[in-house]
Amino acid sequence: MTATTWNTRRGTFAQTASMAARSLASIRNNPATLIEFFMIPLMILLSITFFMGGQMMGSWQDFLQYAGPTIIVMGLFFAIPTTGLGLHADLKSGVFDRLTAMPVSRFALLGGRVAADMVKHAWALLVVGGVAFAIGYRPEAGAADVIAAAAIVLAFLFCASWTMVLVGLTAKTEDQIQTWMIALLMPLSYISTAFIEIDTLPDALQWVARVNPVTAVAESVRGVLAGDVSGGYLLSLAAWCAGTLAVFVPLSLRAYRRKLMN
Amino acid sequence: MRHAIEVRGLVKAFGDVRALDGVDLTAPAGSVLGVLGPNGAGKTTAVRILSTLTHPDAGTARVLGLDVVAKADEVRDRIGLTGQYAGLDENLTGEQNLVLIARLLGASRPQAKARAAELLERFDLVHAASRPAGKYSGGMRRRLDLAASVVRRPEVLFLDEPTTGLDPKSRGGLWDVVRDLVAEGTTVLLTTQYLEEADQLADSIAVIDAGRVIASGAPAELKRMVGGLVLRMRPVRPEALPQLVVLADGTIGAAAKIEEGEAVVPVAHAGEATAVMSRVTQAGVDLASFGLDEPTLDEVFLTLTGHRAESNDEKEEVAA
Ligand SMILES: Nc1ncnc2c1ncn2[C@@H]1O[C@H](COP(=O)(O)OP(=O)(O)OP(=O)(O)O)[C@@H](O)[C@H]1O
Ligand SMILES: [Mg+2]
Repeated sequence: MTATTWNTRRGTFAQTASMAARSLASIRNNPATLIEFFMIPLMILLSITFFMGGQMMGSWQDFLQYAGPTIIVMGLFFAIPTTGLGLHADLKSGVFDRLTAMPVSRFALLGGRVAADMVKHAWALLVVGGVAFAIGYRPEAGAADVIAAAAIVLAFLFCASWTMVLVGLTAKTEDQIQTWMIALLMPLSYISTAFIEIDTLPDALQWVARVNPVTAVAESVRGVLAGDVSGGYLLSLAAWCAGTLAVFVPLSLRAYRRKLMN
Repeated sequence: MRHAIEVRGLVKAFGDVRALDGVDLTAPAGSVLGVLGPNGAGKTTAVRILSTLTHPDAGTARVLGLDVVAKADEVRDRIGLTGQYAGLDENLTGEQNLVLIARLLGASRPQAKARAAELLERFDLVHAASRPAGKYSGGMRRRLDLAASVVRRPEVLFLDEPTTGLDPKSRGGLWDVVRDLVAEGTTVLLTTQYLEEADQLADSIAVIDAGRVIASGAPAELKRMVGGLVLRMRPVRPEALPQLVVLADGTIGAAAKIEEGEAVVPVAHAGEATAVMSRVTQAGVDLASFGLDEPTLDEVFLTLTGHRAESNDEKEEVAA
């Protein structure tokens, strides 16, 4: 039997795709996990809409129409720690020792996890968005704008996930990751216009809410879905995204290299 | 290139623990180097440094003439690693694990599938190809792990305790696979806690203890240092023990001893044992049992260091 051999190489992007496929392969082996990815954002949407919506806006239908999209964004935002937890588990298992000792791009090893989680977020967005539509949410804008809004949400999650890559690489325990998640996600979410209007906040916090990337994504999505694109918030979101990537991707790669020295 | 593996004065400390304290190792291309040592000796640390997973504090390590720190990427391109703990994705099937590795190493999808099929066949895992690796038995896991480290045939292969925890049959099977790889020209560095394993596979052995090489040489030299084999005889009647000692001493001039109802006779090779046995038979002493023992790692250590093989970990536990 002659062994199959090859002399080809695949680039960083292709390796990232292979790593993403690896993280997603467990879904093929165990399709029930597909449900797990949308459970949390779905329950957040349904519980807030049905239990609080009526009190906040008179009827839950009106509340869904006003806050539905941003609540979905929040629900998905709360799912980004999975990237950190997944990476942490990967690093603890022997697989990453093997992969690290192979001629594979370091970026691909980290980026594969992010890419796989983006697929999960996209799936959750599809399901939860579908449920919102089914119970009565109707965007004012057309189909193209809805797709644009989804793209904005996913771009936001992509950039935010890289903060979790660094957390996953540097945290000593899973509890630490959970703690960081609460410490980061809660204030960001609540001091934003995701649920409330800026004027209702104390003065000092109004400034925070205005520059908050969660406000930027919430307002951008709201604007696009209302067919009324507000360039300012889109620009702010783009700046946040670029800034986060510029800082967290190199820091993550450095943290990964540092791990090697110990 | 003179040596496939060349390690000089390697030092690595974790806090107060000097995992490696000036280790030298060499392995000519195409040979098998056995690194023998008890728990906590520093075996895994040495393998991790050589496979670019850890940076040393001092000293140099070269693989195929390439410095493992400065030329890490080139080293990774030419080595294979089977770590002490299975480097598999438990959620992926055996086949998916191998396909992933092949894809990352540049194979096209059909090439990756073909290579995975070959390896599953060769490592006797065809029946388990579509089962998640997490559900494999210890022996199957080890075989898949080894298969994963030879997806693209490496020039140097590192095996960290490849057979610990395996039953004798699986162990023998794995040895055969390693021998095949060596026959194809792969240089192998293998760590083990079993003298027998090093003896079976290695061309040369380095014995390490507490981060230092305390002895090295060909297996035969090492065994000579520790005194070779031991013949144990248990007579039916305990009163016959002194007679056995006299017979043994008279036959091969060995310093036989009595230990726990057995006559214990150090012998240089199996031939001496046969000679003693036939003398005993001639003299008409009935034996309840007898056996020829290889020296254990423990005995190697006792001889080389004057103390039993105790692990650093145990020492720490005592200190803590
Ligand atoms: N990452 C680490 N952090 C702290 N101490 C470590 C680390 N890795 C190894 N050590 C210590 O270094 C020493 C050598 O460990 P190493 O794992 O190399 O031994 P070993 O020979 O492989 O042992 P075993 O047979 O148990 O696998 C031990 O005392 C161990 O506790
Ligand atoms: Mg070890």
